[in-house]
Amino acid sequence: MPPSFVGPASLETPDHGSRLVKQLDRVIIRFAGDSGDGMQLTGDRFTQESSVFGNDLVTLPNFPAEIRAPQGTLPGVSSFQVHFADHDILTAGDRPDVLVAMNPAALKANVGDLPKGAAIIVDTHDFTKRNLDKAGYAVNPLDLLGDANDPLGDFQVHTVDLTGMTVEAVKEYGLSRKDAARAKNMFALGLLSWMYGRPTEPTTTFLENKFKKSPDILGANLTAFKAGWNFGETTETFVVRYEIKPAKLPEGTYRNITGNLALSYGLIAAGVRSGLPVFLGSYPITPASDILHELSKHKSFGVTTLQAEDEIAGIGAAIGASFAGSLGVTTTSGPGVALKSEAVGLAVMTELPLLVIDVQRGGPSTGLPTKTEQADLLQAMYGRNGEAPVPIVAPQSPGDCFSAAVEAARIAITYRTPVMLLSDGYLANGSEPWLIPSVDDLPEIDPAFATAPNHASAKALAAAENGGDGEPDEFWPYLRDPETLARPWAIPGTAGLEHRIGGLEKGEGHGNISYDPANHDLMVRTRQAKIEAIAKSLPPLEVDDASGQAKVLVIGWGSTYGPIGAACRRVRRAGYHVAQTHLRHLNPFPADLGEILKGYDKVLVPEMNLGQLSKMLRAEFLVDAIGYNHVRGLPLKAAELAEAIGQLVGEAEGINVDLGEHGLNPPADHEEMPIQ
Amino acid sequence: MTYVISASCIDVKDRACVDECPVDCIYEGARMLYIQPDECVDCGACEPVCPVEAIFFEDDVPEETARFTRLNAEFFDDLGSPGGAANSNFADRDHPEIAAMPAQNGAHA
Amino acid sequence: MTTIDLGTPSLRSGTESVPAADGPQTGKEFTSDQEVRWCPGCGDYAVLKAVQSFLPGLGLRRENIVFVSGIGCSSRFPYYLDTYGMHSIHGRAPSIATGIATAREDLSVWVVTGDGDALSIGGNHLIHALRRNVNMTILLFNNRIYGLTKGQYSPTSEVGKVTKSTPMGSLDHPFNPVSLALGAEGSFVARTIDSDRKHLTAVLEAAAAHRGTSFVEIYQNCPIFNDNAFDAIKDSETKEHAIIPLVHGEPITFGTRDETTGLGDKALARSAGGGVEVVDTAAMPVEDLLVHDAHNEDPSTAFAISRLTDSGYLNRSPIGIFRQVQRPTYDDLARAQVNDAKTKATQAEGNDTDRLTQLLNAGDTWNVG
Ligand SMILES: Cc1ncc(C[n+]2csc(CCOP(=O)(O)OP(=O)(O)O)c2C)c(N)n1
Ligand code: SF4
Ligand SMILES: [Mg+2]
Repeated sequence: MPPSFVGPASLETPDHGSRLVKQLDRVIIRFAGDSGDGMQLTGDRFTQESSVFGNDLVTLPNFPAEIRAPQGTLPGVSSFQVHFADHDILTAGDRPDVLVAMNPAALKANVGDLPKGAAIIVDTHDFTKRNLDKAGYAVNPLDLLGDANDPLGDFQVHTVDLTGMTVEAVKEYGLSRKDAARAKNMFALGLLSWMYGRPTEPTTTFLENKFKKSPDILGANLTAFKAGWNFGETTETFVVRYEIKPAKLPEGTYRNITGNLALSYGLIAAGVRSGLPVFLGSYPITPASDILHELSKHKSFGVTTLQAEDEIAGIGAAIGASFAGSLGVTTTSGPGVALKSEAVGLAVMTELPLLVIDVQRGGPSTGLPTKTEQADLLQAMYGRNGEAPVPIVAPQSPGDCFSAAVEAARIAITYRTPVMLLSDGYLANGSEPWLIPSVDDLPEIDPAFATAPNHASAKALAAAENGGDGEPDEFWPYLRDPETLARPWAIPGTAGLEHRIGGLEKGEGHGNISYDPANHDLMVRTRQAKIEAIAKSLPPLEVDDASGQAKVLVIGWGSTYGPIGAACRRVRRAGYHVAQTHLRHLNPFPADLGEILKGYDKVLVPEMNLGQLSKMLRAEFLVDAIGYNHVRGLPLKAAELAEAIGQLVGEAEGINVDLGEHGLNPPADHEEMPIQ
Repeated sequence: MTYVISASCIDVKDRACVDECPVDCIYEGARMLYIQPDECVDCGACEPVCPVEAIFFEDDVPEETARFTRLNAEFFDDLGSPGGAANSNFADRDHPEIAAMPAQNGAHA
Repeated sequence: MTTIDLGTPSLRSGTESVPAADGPQTGKEFTSDQEVRWCPGCGDYAVLKAVQSFLPGLGLRRENIVFVSGIGCSSRFPYYLDTYGMHSIHGRAPSIATGIATAREDLSVWVVTGDGDALSIGGNHLIHALRRNVNMTILLFNNRIYGLTKGQYSPTSEVGKVTKSTPMGSLDHPFNPVSLALGAEGSFVARTIDSDRKHLTAVLEAAAAHRGTSFVEIYQNCPIFNDNAFDAIKDSETKEHAIIPLVHGEPITFGTRDETTGLGDKALARSAGGGVEVVDTAAMPVEDLLVHDAHNEDPSTAFAISRLTDSGYLNRSPIGIFRQVQRPTYDDLARAQVNDAKTKATQAEGNDTDRLTQLLNAGDTWNVG
């Protein structure tokens, strides 16, 4: 039986052979295997093929915290989900249509996420007694296929000896059995590529580059890849191929990009656009390390990367570099932010530009290193001693990490302040097609270094009485720009501007140590006012309220953009009204946010935490923000969220809301197209 | 900058300051003690222990004894920077202007 | 894992890349307008004065000198110097200085820290700065006490020290900062005394000239919370016996000087166990006395000498430059990598903007519309 997909746009036509070609508007595939099985690579290759083909797509990698959890066990399962479509999509999808399971543990760990009717392609090779035991299967589920008590009865199961066929196919290369079997992920990729009509060339080129130095391994991988494709072509097992047409995206050149890569590029771009050398001080931590790795490759842009002895040293070096005239950056995840807090306070006090990038993961403590979460918002906002306001910027999708980084740098440099950028594990590793911007269109950032004294001393003023020029003859490091309240940034090497800064409270203007009560009050308020002044530089918040009749506003921040958008589409498809807005700036909030919130009867705040933005909105605007909170280490599910929105719409409008198939009810349970 | 020993030390020479000075830059002359201005590190340890309040920070020397800044310095014109009073002995001499001064009233009371 | 031979960069002086001053400078120019606020008699004054009078002699532009400190009494230091400066947070000055020194070749970078700042809260940064050999000079003011927080024992306090936090005597064994620095493979490790301006200045000169992390422990008296801690090495009566002077190329002797030989009555010699021991000079043939070799690549002897420092009340301590060897500096190597990559790429692929465009458009791309 072929997998049969439910969806609004499925159309069946025979291909040139006798096979049916079925038109689909979108498909969600999840590749799952042991962490040593190369599932991330397989998913990544499939994604590249799909993006070159022109589909819109969103990916969700999911890997174990341990590099190699015991082989064959549930904790060792690694997966990669890709959602691709012929229209613009927002999430990696709630539930996979197709599961590729390389061993019993992969099947067991993922089968619960599948909707009825989903297809499962299983590598039978590893369904041995020992592996079944490790996965916790008392009976081999594959032995029960078709039985009355078949646990997989709801699904279309295809059993294929992927490993066996791979080993057979690559015999000629004389590899050890273990090395030969390694190529099974390429066999699986070949099969899926055939099934969905993906172009093979990107993968061929990729393999040729990757294994340039080992011809045998290259040969084996290429052969396995082709063998997988040919198997699809010749076997009777699969009688349908699928076609998902390219998506109509805005014009331009695209590439597929992960959040960490986009963020790294954004930091390089910020350096180029400000003319400042980028200096990264960082300590490795999941899921932020890839930014350190990436930036380390780009020294040619004048980027210096220092792998410090700990998180504190990382930010310390970045602060030092900023003092010396670089764009200081530090990258980390939540536990690292905790260690850096005192130093962030120093940057607040010394008013130096600095980027603090927090790729959030599940917490507290070590928590869930490889899973996503948004629970560092209040840490970013308040996690320091004293009144220490820090601007917060959050990207909403993997590709958006690029412009979020540039924006964070704009704020940091213009306002001489540390800025927190809150990415998360999902954005970091997830990917999407990214419309490549033109470098010339990126904002220019002017560091505007101080070059001359800015204050006339009493001596100079007195001299002026006797014909002196009364020109500034000293440098006051805390004499502010009246518009931005930013202080001058004078870097060492500038003659006549020698000055001292530090963590002790300083007198407004001259910047000398001051313990004066009134001055401290003034400085606390001034530092706060400077951050609040950033709001003046922000564009009006965009609200998506197509009908203009919505009574419910859904507001989010960060990576929940996709699921919230997808959920709103569902609600609208079902015939109801809902408005959506998403915050890029969490501190300060956009100036018009208060007015916008007032315009709705109910405000829903979906977050992957216990209600941190809700708290901030409530505190700031006295609005009855209602939280929708899941902290499962995974992105929010659109269908579930849609139900929650629907319920609130019902309450707000005094109507009965039934989303039907646009919510959790079958047969749909898929991300839906926007209403044009 | 330096600390300066002024008139009230003449014929008193209590020496409490010598014990306090961390860099040993207070030298004993025949009639008074002198601070070597280049060796003095301005730490102020000597000032509060002087029983006759003879010691002042250079900027705070009272006008009527202002010349003592010069007198302390000139005492070392020939001696230079001896590098520590413990190993020096200048008790046989004074600045000529000091030597010429009349004995202080009740000096040894 | 592969390793790459980075080549040996030309060894240069510590200040070679810092622009020279236009003309002679005075100590006064290096003195800021801030009122110095240490307790009367504090050893910090002596060090400040020595540094203020030493800096003009360096002949560097004032604006190219940066002092960075942590937190503690001694860490107020930068405020009193009219150079660029940062009074940072407790223990972190070496990391901040690492950023400054790596970002800018043209700066002379100095760290001022205390025994608590450098060895307690900032111990990690200290050893890593030494390991990396970043071009900067670290002045560790060791008063063997926490001054600023009013007198708790510190990581260099002797065992049994009675302080507010240890009314029955402290329990933990102290660090010997010089041993620690040598253990971290510091390329320049010295010890000097706050009140000995001549020695202090000579050590500062050597430290500034050294390219790499120069570590200078300065015994500094705290007259309020740990007064007289260094009396034995300061008192003119005892110091001959308490100070083991280290002079490169000379036999290490101390104690009562023999007028004719100039040697002290005690000396250092190799011990049977492979270490170093104190012997009676007279009982040894002169050629068997240990001659100080600060340039020895192997730090073992320097370490053995450092162990002759009393860990309890300080009745004896080697003073001078323990070790001074050449080793590539982290900041030179880091800049070389960046400059190299930048030069090559600019020649091959054009300016930053062009190359950024290429970077963004690299890999698998596709066009829509
Ligand atoms: C994070 C942090 N913890 C504790 C302190 C309090 N504190 C300030 S200085 C200091 C110890 C200073 O001792 P040391 O480094 O020896 O300097 P000294 O005052 O003796 O010169 C402590 C514990 C602080 N400022 N910051
Ligand atoms: S101020 Fe300090 S250094 Fe100067 S003389 Fe007095 S005690 Fe000595
Ligand atoms: Mg101390």
